[in-house]
Order: sequence, then C-alpha cells, then structure tokens
Amino acid sequence: MADVQDTIRERAAALLSSGEVSAVIGWGAGRFDDVRFPLVVKRAEDAGKLVFDASCVQMTAKRLLEHTGEGKVALVARGCESRAVNRFIADHQLTRDQVYVIGVPCPGMVDPATGETLKRCAECQVRNPVVHDELVGDPVPEPKPYRFAEVDRVEAMSREERRAFFDEMYGKCIRCYACRNACPCCTCRECFVEQDKVGWQGKAFNVNEARYYGMIRAFHTGDRCIECGECERACPMGLPLMVIMHQQVRDIDKLFGPYEGGGLTDSGPDPLRTYKTDDIEEFM
Amino acid sequence: MLLKKAKAGALLDAIAAKERLFVPADDRGTSRFVAYGAGVEPRFDLLNTKLPPKDLLFPATETLYRWSRDGADLAIDSAFAETDPFTVFGLRPCDMASVDRLDAVFLTKGYVDEFYQAKREAATFVVATCAHPGRACFCDSIAASPHEAPTADVLLEDAGEEWVVTPQTEKGASAVEAWKPYLEEGDAEPIKAACDLKVDMAAVPEKLKGMFDDPIWSDIGDQCLTCGTCTFVCPTCYCFNIDQDVREDEGKRFRCWDSCMFTDYTAMAGGHNPRASKESRVRQRFMHKLTYFNDRYDMNLCVGCGRCMRDCPAAVDISLIIDRIAASEPAQEKEAMAHA
Repeated sequence: MADVQDTIRERAAALLSSGEVSAVIGWGAGRFDDVRFPLVVKRAEDAGKLVFDASCVQMTAKRLLEHTGEGKVALVARGCESRAVNRFIADHQLTRDQVYVIGVPCPGMVDPATGETLKRCAECQVRNPVVHDELVGDPVPEPKPYRFAEVDRVEAMSREERRAFFDEMYGKCIRCYACRNACPCCTCRECFVEQDKVGWQGKAFNVNEARYYGMIRAFHTGDRCIECGECERACPMGLPLMVIMHQQVRDIDKLFGPYEGGGLTDSGPDPLRTYKTDDIEEFM
Repeated sequence: MLLKKAKAGALLDAIAAKERLFVPADDRGTSRFVAYGAGVEPRFDLLNTKLPPKDLLFPATETLYRWSRDGADLAIDSAFAETDPFTVFGLRPCDMASVDRLDAVFLTKGYVDEFYQAKREAATFVVATCAHPGRACFCDSIAASPHEAPTADVLLEDAGEEWVVTPQTEKGASAVEAWKPYLEEGDAEPIKAACDLKVDMAAVPEKLKGMFDDPIWSDIGDQCLTCGTCTFVCPTCYCFNIDQDVREDEGKRFRCWDSCMFTDYTAMAGGHNPRASKESRVRQRFMHKLTYFNDRYDMNLCVGCGRCMRDCPAAVDISLIIDRIAASEPAQEKEAMAHA
C-alpha cells in the first residue's frame, strides 16, 4: 500500500496546487502506528501528511458535507466512501461536480484491538470504488462474503431471547450519537433527537430512551443504508448495530427485491419511498 | 500490611457482606465499576474501565424532585436521600484524581451540591496503583502518578503478587482495621511505574488564553465527529442538563449528563446558538479542560487517563493537542510579528 500512499500524496498535492480542489479528505497519522484519523488537507505542502495503510479504519465521507461550498473537494474513496458519495447525491446533499473522487481499491482494514480484519471490512460487499474520477492502485477481487450470519442468529432466537438481546444492546448505549454523526445517511440538518420543543427524545439515560433512539434511526436510514458499517465501528460501546441494518437490507430484498443495499448508484432506488402498484401488501 | 491478590476475593466478600461494594469488572462487552456480587469477576488487571467511576457520585440521570397534583393540592417532594456507606475497590490513581476534580466542582466555591455530597461522604475509595501504565496513560505529567493517590482512603501499592496496604485517611484506617483477618504482616517492594507518554502542560493554560482564534480549532473540528463519546467516557466531564418528565398529574425534574459536543447544549430560546459550528464546540471542550478550569480551581481538569484517546471514533488525541498548544508561539509574539 506504500505505492498507493505515495500516489495519493502526489495527486493531492497536484489537485490542491492547481486549484482544482479546495481540500482533500483522507487519513492522517496518529501518535501510534496503528492509529489513523480523518484528515482534511487544504494546502499542497500538507499533502505529505496523508497516509494510507491497513489502519485507516474510519469511513471518512461524512466530512464531505462540511466542506462542500468551499469549492470542489477531493475524497480518497474506497468502496464504502464511494457508495457514500452516491448516497449524498441521491439524497441531494451534493452534486457530482462538487466532489472529485480519488478511488482506491481496498484490501480491507485491520482492527487495532484484535489484529484481525475489521468487522465492517470482513462483511464488505464492494471493495472497489463504484464511482471515481481516477483510480489509484489496481482493482481488488470482490469476495462478497456472507454478511447475514448475525441476522441469522438473531432471527433464530425465541421472542424472549431476542428481547434480551436488544435489551442488552441498548442497555449499554450511552447515546453519544457517534453512530448518527458518522453515518452517511444521517444528513438531517436537525435530528429528531434535538427537536426539544417537540420532545420526541427524552434526555434521561435509560434502556427505553436508547432503544427508542436506535429504532427511529434504523427506520430513518433503513432503505438507504450503504452497509459501510461505520456506525458499528464508531460505537464506543460495541453495540452490534449492523445486525439491524443488515436485517432491513435482507427484508427489503425479500419484499421488494432484488436489492443489495444503498449507494450502488447515485439515484436510489430507495425501496421504502418508492411506490409501485404491485408492491407487496400482505400486512394490509 | 500486605494483601495477597489471590486472596482478594475473600476480602471483597467480607466487605460486600457489610456494605455496597463496587469493583472494576467486565459488563456486557464493556467495563465499568460494577456492584460486587454473585457472578461478578473483578478485573484488577484492567488499567482503566471503559466507563469511569463518576456515575457512582454523579449518576448519568438523577431525579431532583417530584411533583404531583390532586385537584387543587400540589405536592413537591425532594428526591434527596441519604446514601448508605459504600466502598469503591480498585480504582486507579487517575480516577482518584478525577474525584478530586469533581469534589472541587460540586463542593467548593460557595455551593455544596447535596446530592453529590451525600454520596461522596458515604464513599470509601480504595486505589490500586498501576504497575504497567498503558500507552495512552499520561497521568504523571498532568495530574497524578501511577504509584500514588494522596486523597485515596486506602492505597494498594502493586508489588506483583500482592498489594502493600496503606490507610491514608481516618475512613481508610477503620476500613483497614476491619480487613485485618485478610491481611498479612510483611514487607514487599511496590512497583514505582512511570508513564511513557508525557505532556508538557507548563505553559498550556496561559498560551490558550491567546488562542481563541487559532487555526488549531478548525483542524480538530475537521477531524472530530462532535459525538459525545469523549465527554461521557471522561472521568471529569461534569456538565449536566436539567430536564423534566411531565405527566398529567405528576412529574419529576431530573438532571442528566450533557455534552458540550452536542449542538443543543448551547441552543437558546429564539433559536440562536452561540456554538453552532463544530470548531466552536471543540474549542470549548479543550479550553475548559486545559485553561478555564485552571483559572477557577488551580488544577488541570484532564487527569491523563487516556479514555478519550482510546475510544474516540475519529482518533482525536488530547495529548497531541496539548503538544501542539505547547509548541505554539504565544499570541502576543504572533501579533508583534504581524506588526513587524
């Protein structure tokens, strides 16, 4: 990946010094060798601070939305970031000409806590960028691993076991909202949890408030989720959030399919907001 | 006096038979200070629990009063209650230093928070020193020491297979007196560890006073998600919100943890938000941690536990931020250069 990193630096410097872009979003190096962080480079002389290696665990695309409007912004995009770009375009958060995509085929990242492949990478369906203005590095194979193992496990539970599973999950939630802030589908200018005057979301910390938050967020993002897994990775308490998202992807596939998740194109489809007269209506 | 680590279980059983006891333990894939009892395995090998011990003194949600209405009769009842004595066994020196900070906030400067005070006075803190500080630990260059905890009731100095037990307060002395059947006479050499990671805080609080408009804040803002993780895992972040739960004829008012990282933290009536940008919220957090608190309480609010660095989803590293501030030029020099 050293060659890829060198090319990213060269291209970032060129794009910034030519004025084609006002910023390049990638990763920088933390204090320790296995710590990388989302870095926004705005000057060509800082392009050397960009790194790319197996420790780039964060899905950085959300930063795009903070910098569009300052001129075209370049994003170093793997499969996951590229699907987020499509997501943003489909959700009218930006237009294609506002972003320059430096595509990077991704071999999968390493979880510094375990030394093994990061969970969100081990479940990844799209390692190669689905949209890019240029590609750095050679395309990688798409193994398309089975990603519903945890869904199968939870589906096989009895009602009581499932209740206990979700109670444990949301009993741990500290409502830091890292999942929401990291999510490329969560682009509401004002989130329902902050609509204090309406009071959807109570301020107290308990399992009911946490479960309510989690379920509303899941439904708000259900048919748009790009399965990047960044919510689950960002969660400081280790909540298995992707089990809910994967479940929805599979349900949508069964009910309205074929459907393989969001962000594969820049125009949806967003099945739960698309009406067809032959839609299944078994619950009516 | 020595306490063999292998025999700690019997001592914990004895303490728990008398009063509530909290120990560091795994909790559903994370860790925190858990009420000791059946099925709880203390994890004295954990450097830091994922969640800090602050909720034992300052719960995440705490009811202040309740009200109810019966026709024209309105009743308002304080939710204040005395707290039965309890022991926290095995917290770390950084966590003890965090209790010192919470004490300063809730008990000094002319206002005593009775809810905090009741729990604080009921608590006995037993601190275990750190033989092997972690890579993100930097307590000894900011607030504490891996092998000391001057305000702990009892200090347990790690000596390998055993702890050297030293009571440091009256409360600690009576606790240790009761522990005698589980202690042994003898001497052991405590491990006096030091942190590898150091920060240089000497000039930081003063330098920050001239850095309100420094580019550092937009750089951190670019990196930060402004989620509340750092504030909730921080042992010293103490900001809270007061909210209410109102039903038709009854309700309660409670306080709950809040986070300066959240947009609604500073949302004002009329819709104005003085800290609408990420950069302004990030600035507030580090200004508070590294200079405002020093002005009011004459100590660093950060205790160097490393929790925020470890758990931040965007890998924001307070030690690197301190380094950058320490290396920056004082504002007046910058200004002088601009005029030169």
